Amino acid sequence: MPDTEKDIVLEITDVHKSFGDLEVLKGISAKVGRGEVVAVIGPSGGGKSTLLRCATTLERVDSGRIVIGGDVLCENGSYCDKKLEKEIRSKFGLVFQNFNLFPHFSVKRNITEALIHVHKKSREEADDICKHLLEKMDLVEKADAYPCNLSGGQQQRVSIARALATNPEIIFFDEPTSALDPELTKGVLTVIKELAKEKMTMVIVTHEMSFARDVADRIVFMDGGVIVEEGSAYDLVTNPRQERTKAFLAGY
Amino acid sequence: MQALQSTLIQLVQGLKFTIGIFFFTLIFSIPLGLLVSKGRMSKIRIVSVIFQLYISILRGTPLMLQLLLVYFGPYYIFGVNLGSIQIGPFNYRFIATIIAFTLNYAAYFAEIFRGGIQSMSKGQYEAATVLGFSRMQTYFKIILPQVVKRVLPSVSNEIITLVKDTSLAQVLSVTEMFTKASAAASAQVSVIPFIVAGAFYYAMNLIVETILNRVEKSMSYYS
Repeated sequence: MPDTEKDIVLEITDVHKSFGDLEVLKGISAKVGRGEVVAVIGPSGGGKSTLLRCATTLERVDSGRIVIGGDVLCENGSYCDKKLEKEIRSKFGLVFQNFNLFPHFSVKRNITEALIHVHKKSREEADDICKHLLEKMDLVEKADAYPCNLSGGQQQRVSIARALATNPEIIFFDEPTSALDPELTKGVLTVIKELAKEKMTMVIVTHEMSFARDVADRIVFMDGGVIVEEGSAYDLVTNPRQERTKAFLAGY
Repeated sequence: MQALQSTLIQLVQGLKFTIGIFFFTLIFSIPLGLLVSKGRMSKIRIVSVIFQLYISILRGTPLMLQLLLVYFGPYYIFGVNLGSIQIGPFNYRFIATIIAFTLNYAAYFAEIFRGGIQSMSKGQYEAATVLGFSRMQTYFKIILPQVVKRVLPSVSNEIITLVKDTSLAQVLSVTEMFTKASAAASAQVSVIPFIVAGAFYYAMNLIVETILNRVEKSMSYYS
């Protein structure tokens, strides 16, 4: 476990978020240390995805504080300036449930476009990074293919490569296997396990309970807009303390 | 035989105005249509309403009437005489024609573009945002190329209609092909000029169709 502030990659403090009258996040606080893998589990509508979207700047929180990689994204609900926000965005990657690859770009361009046009890397440099990542994802021969010609599992691995390309400090996964057939989830989960071995900092919203138990260091159980229980992955799955956690896990 | 020859010569003389109206309308109405669609989608209610009204009126009244209004309106309504205006080789008749066509077609294009833009999934914007693309980059690199593919069949329809609509410029006595054909038909007391003009319009649209099919095919590498 990290003990100095410097090793905290993501820090969320008392975050509240409402959509109209519906309060979706009712004061969430959490910390993720460097190299840690945290799985977020819980029933649908419990606020998991909203939390992830708030942490990745896709939703604005109403109040609370979010710090990513030492930069304060928001404090008491008011956000930093656009320039810093852009900088913060380069510190994390996000893998979507339904991939959201750019269909008109080849696999290679999906991965290199932001490197070249946002991070101002040379094309050669970007191509190198891309090649290296595709090797890791076992997709080297697909570099020039278009997303529509790939299986769901392959598309998701491309989107993981895209998220990794900018060398982020933390990667968020929003139910990365929920849109995939069971047989296709395996390749994606294997890739995430590999990343965990390399000490990549990750936050994974998932319904794959055995995967969460095996790959995560910690599990956070969310329901009704609050964190009901959190603890080491193995303990939480095998020996939950809260009734709500027990009821939820009994369903798996 | 001689009649046919003189008909052909007259129609070809008119053709350059027909083609002129066609290209100038496309060049101006597509960007304007994009702007109008943006205005129509504006979150500021009053802006959105204004553009909605614009689209509604331009689509809801005859193009022929709009042509007449643009040409005669400045004089009869404001007492401004624009008749002597000349920009390069173009007189006010021609300029008024281009203005009316552009305003009219922009309204149609705007709605087509709006449909295309709104059909884009939110996920494409979100993926671009978290990757750090600016709004301009997102629009021009990610959104617009995909919108072009989606709207192309509807835009093709409009472009083909435009080829035929150029004949409406006759009401302003622009000497485009249809005006020439009408004149030749009454001079010769014959329908041959109309048939020849019809062949010309059809030939132009065959070319337009071929080009558009090619463009469509060039974008079929992804779905």
